[in-house]
Amino acid sequence: MKRLLTLLATLACVAITTEPASAYLKLGTRVGSGTVNLRWEDFPVRYFITNTAGGGVSATQLRQAVDRAFANWTAVETASISAEFAGFTQARPNDDDGLTVIGFVNLPDQDRTLGATSFLVDTVSGEIVEAEIYLNSFFSWSVASAGEANRFDVESIALHEIGHLFGLGHSALGETELRSGGRRVLAAEAVMFPVAFSAGSTAGRTLRADDIAGISEIYPSSVYRRERGSISGRITKSSQGVLGAHVVAFNLRTGKLVGGFSLNEDGSFVIAGLEPGAHALRVEPLDDGDVESFFDLTLNIDVNFRAKFHDRVVVVPRGGGTGDVQIRVQPK
Amino acid sequence: MRFLLLILLLLGFVPVLSATVLVPAEFREIVSGSQIIVHGRVSDVRAEWIDGRRRIESVITLEASSFYRGTSAGTVTFRVPGGQIGRYKSVTVGAPEFKAGDEVVLFLKARGPSVPQVFGLNQGVFRVQVDQRTGRRTVSQPIVMARGITPQPVLRGAPDRQPLPLDQFATQIRSVLQGGAR
Repeated sequence: MKRLLTLLATLACVAITTEPASAYLKLGTRVGSGTVNLRWEDFPVRYFITNTAGGGVSATQLRQAVDRAFANWTAVETASISAEFAGFTQARPNDDDGLTVIGFVNLPDQDRTLGATSFLVDTVSGEIVEAEIYLNSFFSWSVASAGEANRFDVESIALHEIGHLFGLGHSALGETELRSGGRRVLAAEAVMFPVAFSAGSTAGRTLRADDIAGISEIYPSSVYRRERGSISGRITKSSQGVLGAHVVAFNLRTGKLVGGFSLNEDGSFVIAGLEPGAHALRVEPLDDGDVESFFDLTLNIDVNFRAKFHDRVVVVPRGGGTGDVQIRVQPK
Repeated sequence: MRFLLLILLLLGFVPVLSATVLVPAEFREIVSGSQIIVHGRVSDVRAEWIDGRRRIESVITLEASSFYRGTSAGTVTFRVPGGQIGRYKSVTVGAPEFKAGDEVVLFLKARGPSVPQVFGLNQGVFRVQVDQRTGRRTVSQPIVMARGITPQPVLRGAPDRQPLPLDQFATQIRSVLQGGAR
């Protein structure tokens, strides 16, 4: 691996501009012909906990795990967000009642969904009326510090769902394998990877560089603007833009990974929230799963191309952007 | 773990999957866990309050053209979380959205008299696309594990993962229903 990195480094060609950073995979929803971004304007976000136990976990234990998960997000110094526990409630998390509620709901019909986040949006004002998170008590849950065999970790799943609650979409930084009994996660470099680690694992309790970049891009603090940079460019195939390509930036010094997507028909992309320094880039199609989990279904996402490394190292400046990275991919 | 992922990334082994937080299903599980498997076109999408106006769901009507499993009525109705009523829109992250005219192959869970729902939130939706060059109608190739082998990583960008022509997908579904491998 070292040899490969050295090789990439020797291919370095540095192109630095000072264009501002923008874009990350943020949640939005179609309203008419436009899109409403799901983003909170007022802080702290006040959340209630349903006063109901589920899957072997009490409401108090749920509250403690959820508090830790919120604290994890709000501790990100490059993002300006806050949250506050508002109390226990009898309200259920999947009711559209104007309250932001987190709790257990027993949904045996949804026996493949551990938890989900939903929003009620005022399509006229664009305001988030409420956000809800449910954990499916059809499954067995745990709040044990080291996890428990055959039980899913409340804090890990809450951390992922709270990322949605703040407006983050899914990250594609993960690795799965097929084995008898289904598909499982081998590794994930983002809490926002949409597939859960196996029961018993607590690996999803720690935010990764990709999560931090994403939340900071939505709610940037002054530190973020000053200290982070971006890479932008264009992915093309046969001279045409590629929409929906996953572009991964690998920091050659820290080893951190941050992903982004080409979000326009012309194949343009921006990966924001990067630490300054040299990065290697890789482009790949989202051809191994459900594209709809990442993109609006009306988009014509291109998955018919081969993965490719950019042949140059890209250096991200502090507080600025490296632009005009052109990567040409080949059809399969 | 980062080291593992990094190695996989550098070797070209980095894949993904779907919605909110899911327990992903292999294709045979999707087939065997679905009581209705149907190909057709969405003709109507209607949002409604349910559970005593506590939340919004959408009821989708599909004009069926082929049934691979289950009832053979002309239309199928199923429900998905979320929808818009008046100025308010309920959105569940990862839940599929449909509009009239969408052509899909659906894997639906149907229990008793209740309205069916999509297997695994969105894992049972295969959208039909038309290849601009050939005109063939295709779906994304499902993830299928070959029988009796050791665990295999799901490779993103693998050259052999091509869109699957609809007729081959139908053959694959029937094969799984009959207990075949692929």
